[in-house]
Amino acid sequence: MKVFRSIRWRLQLWYGALFAAVLVGLGVTAYEVEAVSRMGRIDAELERGAFVLNGVARRRGPPPPRKGSTGSPETPTPRPVRSTQALAEALTAADEARGFYYAVWRKNEEPRFTASAGAPPDIPKPSESEPQGVRQRGRFREAFLAPNPGDIALVGRSIELETAEVLRLGWLLAGGGVSLLAIAMAIGWWLVTRALRPIQDISVAAAKIATGDLAQRINVRDGESELGALAGVLNSTFARLEASFAQQARFTGDAAHELRTPVTVVLTHVQNALAEGGLSEEQREAFEACLRAAQRMRRMIESLLQLARLDAGQEAMRHETVDLAALVVDCRELVGTMAAVKRITLTTELAPAECRGDADRLGQIVTNLLGNAIHHGREGGEVRVTTRSEDGAAVVIVADNGPGIPREHLGHIFERFYRVDKARTGTAGRTGLGRAISKAIVDAHGGVIAVESVAGEGATFTVRLPRG
Amino acid sequence: MRLLVVEDEPDLLAGVARALRKQGYAVDTALDGEEGLHKAQTTDYDAIVLDVMLPRLDGWEVLEQLRVSKETPVLMLTARDATADRVRGLDAGADDYLVKPFDVAELQARLRALIRRGARRARAALEIAEVLIDTVARTVRRSGEPVTLTAREYAVLEYLAMHRGEVVTRTALYEHLFDDSDDTLSNLIDVHIFNLRKKLGADFIVTRRGHGYCIE
Repeated sequence: MKVFRSIRWRLQLWYGALFAAVLVGLGVTAYEVEAVSRMGRIDAELERGAFVLNGVARRRGPPPPRKGSTGSPETPTPRPVRSTQALAEALTAADEARGFYYAVWRKNEEPRFTASAGAPPDIPKPSESEPQGVRQRGRFREAFLAPNPGDIALVGRSIELETAEVLRLGWLLAGGGVSLLAIAMAIGWWLVTRALRPIQDISVAAAKIATGDLAQRINVRDGESELGALAGVLNSTFARLEASFAQQARFTGDAAHELRTPVTVVLTHVQNALAEGGLSEEQREAFEACLRAAQRMRRMIESLLQLARLDAGQEAMRHETVDLAALVVDCRELVGTMAAVKRITLTTELAPAECRGDADRLGQIVTNLLGNAIHHGREGGEVRVTTRSEDGAAVVIVADNGPGIPREHLGHIFERFYRVDKARTGTAGRTGLGRAISKAIVDAHGGVIAVESVAGEGATFTVRLPRG
Repeated sequence: MRLLVVEDEPDLLAGVARALRKQGYAVDTALDGEEGLHKAQTTDYDAIVLDVMLPRLDGWEVLEQLRVSKETPVLMLTARDATADRVRGLDAGADDYLVKPFDVAELQARLRALIRRGARRARAALEIAEVLIDTVARTVRRSGEPVTLTAREYAVLEYLAMHRGEVVTRTALYEHLFDDSDDTLSNLIDVHIFNLRKKLGADFIVTRRGHGYCIE
């Protein structure tokens, strides 16, 4: 669940949940308060009605019944009310005026039970044990008063209207709550976006630095904020990182430059001595060994300098259209002699593979890959070169069927001076920098170089260069 | 041919001077920019090998000041191979450059080309009547037959051939063929000329009395 790992989503969820809880709490409370207060008002009215009715129903009835504050004084109520008929009529008249209904149970007089015309049928007789009470019966609310066991006055009414109103209130609250929540979430989203923007900037800059663009810095919008301060700290860290890389590249370059003159001295004197002749066989061999070593140092100096320039991004690269297939054909001639010496067959499968780049530098890569494949290949073996275009990239693949590269070395193969076989003899004339330079050139072209190998079956190097 | 080598590393200076002397050039040396500039201004060298990094006066400054008065071909030795450096050197009036470390053979070849260009001769072989001079192999043939010359004789012949049609004074020959360390007597030039005439034909080198020698 990637979504729940994102800080934005987690903040949003927590914030939303908290806000929803508060809204639900407030809504439910408001709903309850309203419902209870309405019911309380109804109950008070009903109780007052029951009290009045009780008086009416008694023999020594008080003045005509007043129902609530809006009682109808003109209601004719005979005094004392005795006849069932009269009582019923009186009750019915009162009933119709207010939507109440009345029921009276009498213990000693006939009729035992009288109800107003609007009363629902089959009103159950309240329990006689309680002198008074309020009860809910379906959609009816009823209050009763029983001064004597058996003498009960009951006033009831339908609360359908109120229930509907309260229900509507509930829906209103729910609807309002959902809208509020939506608005709050939108505001929250905006706030989180604003708060996370510096983090976004940091991550973009850090990602570019990770890919080698050391000159990247975070765009600090607000240096006073916590994230602004963090960005400042990171920027100074990046600056130090860049400086240290630059220093390293400069050191390599300077060291290589300083080596130029001494190597020139050796080369000059050795070549003089060899050119002048008159040397014994042993002396000549010694001078020739010196010459080979000096030439190797010279190549190493060139390689180190090229690496230093590539590291510093100072190696000027041309941007021209290069067909890797044509490049392979050219480089093939350069390594032909080397392949012939080891009786290695060079097979090519060349489809047009165009990319943008520096033909000389790319040729250097191809020559290096071919040279390595031949150098490490089996005597009398085969080296296959394939070029093709795929997925918007130009690809060149160089595969040999030599002893391959053990798995534990594959991750280091592009490191400087890395040798798979530390004790290998036959490294004479090799700088140990070829693959590192190839990788640096591929990187500078925005491409990818990769190696695959199965021990005993050979190694395959693949270079992918973007077309555009 | 007389060359000047300006280089602050004594071992390298000795090596380069030795390699060039072996080729029959007269070689003067200087260990710093000031000395180099002084020598370059006071002597007509056929070419100068000039290191860029020099004490007192660096190669650029030497070149700049030299170009005020002299057109001597200059080959710069540089420890930097960045394109900007090469462009700067060529713009400043250097005729060629060589990046250290270099092969002796390449230095020699580039100097030969530089000297030829200085004498406005594009080809490495000079053909005068039935005499063919190969400046790369430093051999001479007369009507297809090899002629054996001493290094000095060859140097005199090459200088005269390079300046074909011009009258070359004995002083100029002396200046261009012998360096500061040489204490050869000037009349030895007459000996070399005598020997050359014997090997290549009496009319090959003409004497202009009171002026000098000339190959026509």
